[in-house]
Amino acid sequence: MKVRTVFLAVLMILAAIYLLAPVVWMFLLSIITQSEALSVPPHWIPHAPTLENYAAFFNPTERQATMGADAIANMPHAMLNSVIVGLSVAVANVVLGSMAAYSFARLQFKGSGVLMMAYLVSRMVPAVGIMIPLYVVMQRLGLLNNIFSLILVETTETLPFSIWLLASYFRTIPRDLEEAARIDRCNWLQAMIKVFLPVATPCLVATGVFGFMSSWGSFLYPLLFTSGLGNTTMPVIISNFATDINADYGLLATSGVLAVIPPFILAFWFQRWIVGGFTSGAVKG
Amino acid sequence: MTTMQAEPLALASGQPGQPSIWRRLFPYWLNLPSVLVLLGLVAYPVGLSFWISLHAMSFRRPKRFPFVGLDNYINAVTSPEFLSALVVTLKFSVAAVALIVLMGLALALLLNVPMRGRGMLRALVLVPWAIPPIVNATLWQLIFDPHVGAFNGLLLQLGLIDKYQAWLVDPNLALLIVVFAHAWNHVPLATIILLAALQAIPRELYEAALIDRTSRWRVFRAITLPWLLRPILIVMILQTMGALRAFDLFYVLTGGGPGNSTTTLAWLTYQTSFVYLDVGKGSTYSYIIMGLTLVVALFYLRGFYKRGDVE
Repeated sequence: MKVRTVFLAVLMILAAIYLLAPVVWMFLLSIITQSEALSVPPHWIPHAPTLENYAAFFNPTERQATMGADAIANMPHAMLNSVIVGLSVAVANVVLGSMAAYSFARLQFKGSGVLMMAYLVSRMVPAVGIMIPLYVVMQRLGLLNNIFSLILVETTETLPFSIWLLASYFRTIPRDLEEAARIDRCNWLQAMIKVFLPVATPCLVATGVFGFMSSWGSFLYPLLFTSGLGNTTMPVIISNFATDINADYGLLATSGVLAVIPPFILAFWFQRWIVGGFTSGAVKG
Repeated sequence: MTTMQAEPLALASGQPGQPSIWRRLFPYWLNLPSVLVLLGLVAYPVGLSFWISLHAMSFRRPKRFPFVGLDNYINAVTSPEFLSALVVTLKFSVAAVALIVLMGLALALLLNVPMRGRGMLRALVLVPWAIPPIVNATLWQLIFDPHVGAFNGLLLQLGLIDKYQAWLVDPNLALLIVVFAHAWNHVPLATIILLAALQAIPRELYEAALIDRTSRWRVFRAITLPWLLRPILIVMILQTMGALRAFDLFYVLTGGGPGNSTTTLAWLTYQTSFVYLDVGKGSTYSYIIMGLTLVVALFYLRGFYKRGDVE
């Protein structure tokens, strides 16, 4: 029994290393200078930790401005764009998704099965499969270099999953609640606002979080639709940085750390919901 | 025409005078925005993509749009670049899905053992999942970097190499590294799904086995594995689709190289369409990717239903 406990403990430590070590390495590189990063063998524990790489994104020194060039200058704006797109996608998912989901959970109508199937099938279409026509469409609409194009495509990419997730949750909300409200002479809209939506709130929030995180990490569409560094989103700036052979390692690592902070916060905050959402989506999806 | 139980909460049931057509259409109104968005930005592009793939279209000469029928498809399937990309895609997908399922299963089994620290480890599983693919690529680039890479540092200190190497320029290693990096990002999803499946197995089954003093391995084969088959299939479907469309890692880590050793169909589609601007050919490749996705889904689903019959 003792041997088994030790064995399991070792396995858990190995698992923790596997899950954490890559991120820790990026974080380490972000808090040391370029010269310390270049030391061989690497300093697993930084000798002179510094925040100068983080400061660079607000107030770059001359060397940093040369090394980081466009990437540094555009990062704050790109982050803001990512936030705007993410929040819009989140809101669009919650509003459109809950409308559709309500119809599946509460109303009976012809073709509901087919419609749900169509939603699920549209989720299978890969972005690389439709990126060319979408580019053509955005060009015709004059939406290239406009983050509205990103809001549109990210919403379509996440909406089917949101509908599925919300519909499964709405089905678990007892009808009695709304019926009680109706007996209290609320009309349908009042029953919705006063009774149904408050109960559904946790799932609405989770749906928004999913939408935000998905669009926050999306790279292919902004790469194609936004050509200038000045009006693109965070992943494009990072990719630009990462493929620049002269890039400063510390600045590159720092941009990565900055980009994972929002998803990390959301992931741990909504841990229970994310786990539940995946499993409910996966069991039948 | 009052269906008592069917739609007690439909829009205007409080006002009997309201025409019922409005009530009957209400669910469709609710779906209209979603349907419009998906029609315009998924269904229409899928159709348009096919239409473009039947033409010799190039972004270089946007005015010309000559119809060439299935020529693009015939040229594609006979061209060495396509065949090479197909082979690389298959290698990448098979390796990535296998690694994700194995690692995901191993982690799920570990996390299902009641012991201290389990809750913490369950939370840590979300770390790789929460990382955006482009940051995942950056992360692994910093690990396999020829000048500052942790991988080099580790091997050097263990005495396995005597000087730093550029790992990503080796054609065989490059694909392996991309597989590993892709898997790291996607293992959590597999773990979460499989862990939920493990927790759904009725405890009584294990208790019966315990009384019979069955060996652990036999318990796993006889009870755990059969219960996991369906979720494993789901993980395989999701992950194969994910592998077929993987793009970000290739963009940052290898750019399809060295040579074309990591040029998958997704990468070839991007290169053909947005670097060489040959959109007709690119659409053909992208259609082939969608076809593969569909075949994979059907293939797995078939296996899925077959199993269902047996049980």
